[in-house]
Amino acid sequence: MIARYGMVIDLDRCTGCGACMIACAAENNVPPEPPRATPRTGITPMLVRALSNGRDGADRREAFIPITCMQCENETPCVAVCPQQAVEVDKSTGIVMQIPQRCLGCRYCMTACPYHARYFNWWDPQWPPGMEKSLNPGVSVRMRGVVEKCNLCHTRFHGAEEKAAVAGRKEIDPADYIPACVEACPTGAILFGNLADPNDPVTLAAHSPDSFRLLERIGTEPKIHYKTTQDWIRALADKNANHPTEAQHV
Amino acid sequence: MSETILLDRRWIARGAERSSTLHFLLWLAPWVFLLLLGIYAAGLCFYYGLNQTNMDNRFAFGMWIFLDLSVIAMGAGAFFTGFLVYILKQNDLKPMLNSAVVIGLTCYSGAVAVLMVDVGQPLRAWFTFWYPNTHSMLTEVTFCISCYLLVLILEYIPVLLRNRQLRKIPSFLIFEHQFHKLVPVLAGVGTFLSFFHQGSLGGLYGVLRGRPFAYRQGFAIWPSTFFLFILSALAVGPSFLMLVVATAEKITGRQLVQQGVFRKLGFISGVLLALYIAAKAVDTYIWLNFTSPALGFGPVDFYSYWPLSSTFLFIATVPLGLFPAILFVVPRTARHRGLLLLAAVLTCGGVLLNRFVMTVQTLALPTLPFDEFLKYTPSWQEVATFGGVIAYGVIVYSLSYRYLPLFEAPKGEDKHVSLG
Amino acid sequence: MKVSRRDLLIGTAGVTAGVFFTPVPWKLLGDVSIWTQNWPWIPQPPHGPVETKQTACTLCAASCGLRVRMAEGWPVGISGVSTNPVTKGALCPLGFAAHQLNWHPRRLREVRHHGYTASWTEAQSAFEKACAEGPVAIVDGRPGRAASSVLKAFAARHKTSYRVALSSESRALTPYAIWGGVPVASLGYDLESTRTIVSFGAPLLDGWGTPGRFTRLWSERAAGSSDPQLRLIQIEPTLSRTAARAWRWYAPREGSEGTLASAVALVLLQEHLVSTQVPIPQVTLTDAAAQTGLSVESIRELAHMMVERRPVLAIAPDINPSVAALNVLLGAVGKPGGVVLRNRASASPVPFEADGGAYRAVLIDSTVPWEFVPQTNAEVFRFATWDGGGSKADWLLPSPGFLEELTDVPTAPTSAADTYNVAANLVAQSAGTISPAQFLTKIDSTLPDTEKAIHSRCEEIFKTKLGAVYADQPTPVKEFESAQKMEDQLRKGAVWVGEAPRAGSFHCTLKQWPATTPTALASDWAETWAAPVFPPLAAKLYQESTLREAPARRQA
Repeated sequence: MIARYGMVIDLDRCTGCGACMIACAAENNVPPEPPRATPRTGITPMLVRALSNGRDGADRREAFIPITCMQCENETPCVAVCPQQAVEVDKSTGIVMQIPQRCLGCRYCMTACPYHARYFNWWDPQWPPGMEKSLNPGVSVRMRGVVEKCNLCHTRFHGAEEKAAVAGRKEIDPADYIPACVEACPTGAILFGNLADPNDPVTLAAHSPDSFRLLERIGTEPKIHYKTTQDWIRALADKNANHPTEAQHV
Repeated sequence: MSETILLDRRWIARGAERSSTLHFLLWLAPWVFLLLLGIYAAGLCFYYGLNQTNMDNRFAFGMWIFLDLSVIAMGAGAFFTGFLVYILKQNDLKPMLNSAVVIGLTCYSGAVAVLMVDVGQPLRAWFTFWYPNTHSMLTEVTFCISCYLLVLILEYIPVLLRNRQLRKIPSFLIFEHQFHKLVPVLAGVGTFLSFFHQGSLGGLYGVLRGRPFAYRQGFAIWPSTFFLFILSALAVGPSFLMLVVATAEKITGRQLVQQGVFRKLGFISGVLLALYIAAKAVDTYIWLNFTSPALGFGPVDFYSYWPLSSTFLFIATVPLGLFPAILFVVPRTARHRGLLLLAAVLTCGGVLLNRFVMTVQTLALPTLPFDEFLKYTPSWQEVATFGGVIAYGVIVYSLSYRYLPLFEAPKGEDKHVSLG
Repeated sequence: MKVSRRDLLIGTAGVTAGVFFTPVPWKLLGDVSIWTQNWPWIPQPPHGPVETKQTACTLCAASCGLRVRMAEGWPVGISGVSTNPVTKGALCPLGFAAHQLNWHPRRLREVRHHGYTASWTEAQSAFEKACAEGPVAIVDGRPGRAASSVLKAFAARHKTSYRVALSSESRALTPYAIWGGVPVASLGYDLESTRTIVSFGAPLLDGWGTPGRFTRLWSERAAGSSDPQLRLIQIEPTLSRTAARAWRWYAPREGSEGTLASAVALVLLQEHLVSTQVPIPQVTLTDAAAQTGLSVESIRELAHMMVERRPVLAIAPDINPSVAALNVLLGAVGKPGGVVLRNRASASPVPFEADGGAYRAVLIDSTVPWEFVPQTNAEVFRFATWDGGGSKADWLLPSPGFLEELTDVPTAPTSAADTYNVAANLVAQSAGTISPAQFLTKIDSTLPDTEKAIHSRCEEIFKTKLGAVYADQPTPVKEFESAQKMEDQLRKGAVWVGEAPRAGSFHCTLKQWPATTPTALASDWAETWAAPVFPPLAAKLYQESTLREAPARRQA
């Protein structure tokens, strides 16, 4: 089955709690912060940013936007620029797969990504003594000098495939493949599914008139959509959006 | 005048005048210190990792990439001079050839050394050769620069072998003499390779659709920055070469080449610079009016941040672009050595500014609508490594000047007609 | 044979060229790439099959259901339990990395007396000596547990006082307890049946109560709609996360929430928008407008909005009698959609602050928040799992860590129905740690056993035949064959939820409208997290992103 996994993130439901960020870090064996870590050196494959309409007082509006790898489909910028093919688009899932073992750490892909969804291991990973026992099996630990990013919890997809194989099924059960951030969100703001399936709730949500994508006019065709009824958020995103009537929804 | 004490006399060409060994060592000392400091800083980065720099996830490229692009542009004089002499038969430029090769060699080897420190996993540097991605400009750069570095080493060997002591070894002499037949071929190969990697360095940024400030349309797979970088490298190469030799003349107190050589190099530089500015003007117009608006970005997204506002564009185009071009080309100004050198300095400044804008400013500018303009200051380790590369260049050139006939008449003539 | 220099050169060149035709350089290259992926100092995750166990979290009073993945005997991943009717699979952000806490660098591993290492024997002697010399208090942070019965039994038998440290959510319910003559531990909010919630600064969407309960409810009934089924009105001086998502936001000046509540009550009474009879608040609208910074029209508008869709419920983050009185006025007491009484059976333990007694010693349970400092000159025996820093305790006594101790979790303070969780321990208790109940049992071996107490509690629930046990499927209690079968399910991570409270089961009478007291600020979202340290990955929220400002007190 050829799937195209994607998300629709409802910004009306995101409270900016950060549960997705921590669940993602725990799932992906991201190390604790070194003493000199800053917001610009952190490894946050899921990163929640704050938005505001810039006004003050009673007119102020705020929201939060979770940013993750957009799983670009069209001329994926990072795939095109990696000199040693350490990134590739997995044809069966549509996931943009980073291969840390082949990464040379040149960081060209980080320059290419307009969503700044790629993170570099500036330090070697270090845990307090004993804490390595709490690492997630099946997810490799990356050393310093390589780039990493969200891969839609591909390890969980493997787990779902294994489960299906044991049960003699060819296709995975969607309930077995839920990325950590989707599972963690307390308001259910992140909808995840297969955009290639026209009946999947995520496909229907992606087609809703409230949905949009970031930097649509750059033409990367991200598979991460956002949804909101709040006009000021749309206005923020609209300046780079395709004209609504030309919107290339999935 | 007392005789200068030359402890290394046997290494210096007969009849050549050089300053005393002590004097030379005193000259080298601060550069050696700077080089050692650079090696130490690089060592820290190898040992502790790239957290020793101030680069981060938003400034994934920093001072070192700027350094790489700049020194490679400056080192373009190497291939261009070779092209002018061997292919276009501009034989009055021959005395500059060896200097150009030395400059090229140090620029490229220094750039490669810094690249090794800059990547997170230097031991995996060979992966690009094993798993090349034909769509990536950086693959092209890696291959071309590696090959060209080999070419430069090969071009330097005959120069090296003309050292007084090394010439005494018959096999070296024969090798050098035979090798000289290969030099035009090497020059041709070097030109071909350089054309591509100078362009690909521009292409690195021109293909970035995710960075509308850098993204350009172009011809086939090559964005306009590919061609603009080639033009600017061709323009700056001779200028930089001229500056280095002029500096050497000033320091050694001797005239090393005839004035006419400078003027000719300047003229070539000026014409190419003018062409470059014209091409860039057309390119900027197309980019600001068509390319970036199609991506949803306009001039206000690029130029509303002080101090990196449109002033940089103006500075790069006029005082560091058109003005030196005019100085180079107009006979009244080109006659004056001082103005020629000023023009050379301004040309180098313009290209440095252009490289800075493409590497650092591209990353500072926001792409997401809720992002802000970012700042970056290199750490001392980055600056020290940069200084180390410059020191390396100075040391290699100084040693080459002292012990090798850099400005001698070309091979095949037995007279040591050296002016220096 | 004479080997000339030329021979040597040719030989070297030949060997160099030839070696590339052997596997040697290529193998070396390949090895180098393997080395660069496997440096020995890079930690490796555990191998081994992963099994999933369920238990309950004990890190705050919310008692969220946990699904814990275990490998090689250690927890390696945490998520929520989607079939849990209270949390509906949600956890607080910190819960997802809670399994790292037991290796936190600030974990207490040895007894400390005034900063020096001491032994358990010394601590025990000191405590026994203190008990003999004068009055002693035991402070419990989470009353109602099986371990609490051990603490209470010790207090009863040894003339020590059993006291509690109430959470801010419990304190917010105290006025109803006083006015209604009911135990505060039995009160909760029936959020599920209300149509309008007016929060006077309570961070309902950011750490209040049980994390998943209101967030899921709000997401279902309110999010993204301009005319939601559940209207959330947030009253808060700054645009907090809850205020930013609320249906309406009003911003009175800091500390004036109580005045605003009284002013709104005045409007409701003056305009006959409510039928309850209560004493008139002693406030004028113009005064209230001046104090709150809101206009009189806004206050009127707020009052109208509050009663447009009923039932309506007001919630304060901490004790606020004016807001409580407003609830009485709104008819939100003892009715569906309001403040409800779950049962009459809970005891009413005395808060430590209410006492003011002078003690010879105070024993503080590990469930008491780190910031709790008894205002006393007593010798303080502080049980804790992590060192929160700046402690004034004389004795720091290392308690069992996360998931290291079999314990139970009583109903969370804000819950609408009674619940009961058994938090099974998934790992062995760390060497050198002793729980407060175990410590007191060493002194008096006749004290009840925690495990037996849990067993009795399960039997009690079974006997009532009320409510249901929620495992993968809900099973009514009366359908269980035996108490043991029910207990087995609870020990595997199921949760018992009791019946919904009956309407009209309690009333509050107000003799006069309470005087407006300056209200405490809503606490930082993470303050309900009882541990004084955060899991290291919490740095993602603070140091490594700009999502939240680091809390002043907590050392990550």
